[in-house]
Amino acid sequence: MSDASPSAPTDAPASTDDWIREQRHAAVLAALGQVWDPELGLDVVSLGLVYDVRIGAASVDIDMTLTTPGCPVSEQLPAQAQAAVQAALPDVAVSVHVVWEPPWTPERLSPMALEQLGLARRR
Amino acid sequence: MTVLDPPARTTVAPSAGPVAPGGGPSVPPASVPLSFLAAAGVGLALFGVAVWLAADRLVAAPTHPGAVAAVHVGMLAFLTTAVLGAVHQFAPVVGRRPLRSVLAARLTFVGMVATAWLLPSGFAHGPEGLVAAGGVVGAATVLVTAWNLSAPLSGRDGGVPVLGLRLSVGFLVVTVAFGLVYALDRQAGWFPLLPHRVLAHAHLGLVGWLGLTYVTVAEKLWPMFLLAHRPRARAGAAAVALLATGVPVLALGLLLDVVALTWTGGLVVAAGLVSHLASLATVVVHRRRSLELLHAFLFASAAFLVAALVLAALVGLVPVGTVVRGRLVAAEVAALTAWLGLAVVGHVHKIVPFVAYTALRARGVTTGPGGRPLLFGDLFHPGAARLALVLATAGFAAALVGLLVARATVLAAGGVAVAAAGIVVTANLASGPRRAGAQLTSRSTP
Repeated sequence: MSDASPSAPTDAPASTDDWIREQRHAAVLAALGQVWDPELGLDVVSLGLVYDVRIGAASVDIDMTLTTPGCPVSEQLPAQAQAAVQAALPDVAVSVHVVWEPPWTPERLSPMALEQLGLARRR
Repeated sequence: MTVLDPPARTTVAPSAGPVAPGGGPSVPPASVPLSFLAAAGVGLALFGVAVWLAADRLVAAPTHPGAVAAVHVGMLAFLTTAVLGAVHQFAPVVGRRPLRSVLAARLTFVGMVATAWLLPSGFAHGPEGLVAAGGVVGAATVLVTAWNLSAPLSGRDGGVPVLGLRLSVGFLVVTVAFGLVYALDRQAGWFPLLPHRVLAHAHLGLVGWLGLTYVTVAEKLWPMFLLAHRPRARAGAAAVALLATGVPVLALGLLLDVVALTWTGGLVVAAGLVSHLASLATVVVHRRRSLELLHAFLFASAAFLVAALVLAALVGLVPVGTVVRGRLVAAEVAALTAWLGLAVVGHVHKIVPFVAYTALRARGVTTGPGGRPLLFGDLFHPGAARLALVLATAGFAAALVGLLVARATVLAAGGVAVAAAGIVVTANLASGPRRAGAQLTSRSTP
């Protein structure tokens, strides 16, 4: 599994296909930003749970993990993520893969998430 | 021993369909755990009232029928009802298999509520048939429960949580069988309520059934609540193993009044409870989020467990007269009750919002105040939860002190505070989901 950042590429698009790919990538991240862990009060992108987003011609594959294996709450998040991205991109097949390697660590938290979880000083 | 190994990789594809409320197809409808927990909230309030009303008898003679009635309100109407509700939700999740029957779960609820009120009423007021009826209904209820839970607890890959729950349900069956003998013997009198036998019954229920269940469930829940990734969970696994081993020896020693067995079992149980506290410490050390309200409940609860261990050591080591010994033993049982009671009240502030959240989402309630996604924190009032913590902690502490110094007024005050805690926590956790659900109603009203 690639450990690529789920953030959008910064280079200028070389073709229409690349432009569509970038638009879809942005749409995926925006949709995932609306999927919140109900216990922690943070979205799955800020929590660093999204490991990889692969945009195909007619498909989107997302690798994501959970903060703790076996958590009944967080196990709903992949389904919510799939539904949110599918709603944003209704014309492609969206699959969410839950992966456990590499294990999630707090280093993946965004600065805002660190603050909210009480692991970093508030500015 | 692993807590629970996750599958290497799972995929949620377009054809996967919606996730059932509670996180998967295994869990029962939300009404199953919520009905138990609502009844347990009422049970906590009435336990406080019962302690208040029976305070003088609890202080003077803990085996007086009025005192026994009050204790059974706490054990059955509050603790057992709450723990059964949590186990009916938790066992299918960790066992990854559903209950055998949702109807049987509802029968367990009805049977346990009936038992929780038949037995204490019979003890306090008679007639004698009420006690026997309570014993028979309770025994039948527990058999249904064990049969129903045997499906989710039969899996081989559930690790410590499933193993511990199997054993704790076994202790529930033994505790109720013990109680049934008492209930049916009250006329014949061949098995009199001698203090050491009462203590065997109490420790089977408090440590074997309720304590082992809590210790087991905590090993699964604490790391999730604190985002704690521990390198190992040895202390928790040791706690489960030591309690499961020590409780039968302790109970047998108390039942037969064999000092060596009682000491051996007591030491093993104490080691298990210390391991449980060590496990809490490792979770706190390895946490990846700041402490919150639940942890205040956990620390207060743990303090009562330490008090129970100290009191038990005093009973065993310090040569005192019968009267003082009786006070120490009563206070030890009260401390164990407070340990479990505070843990239950703290955890229901997680369990009820979780169960209600998934049920609300299934109904289409996905947003909280301000239009942001619905969170667990939207489903109860934090100020009321803090008030419940203060009332419950103060109430149990006053009850413990009242028993130690034999002051009925102090014990009664503790009962009042516990009753108030029960009212606050029940009202708080019932009204939060209702408020959230009302948003949907108001949105859909033209």
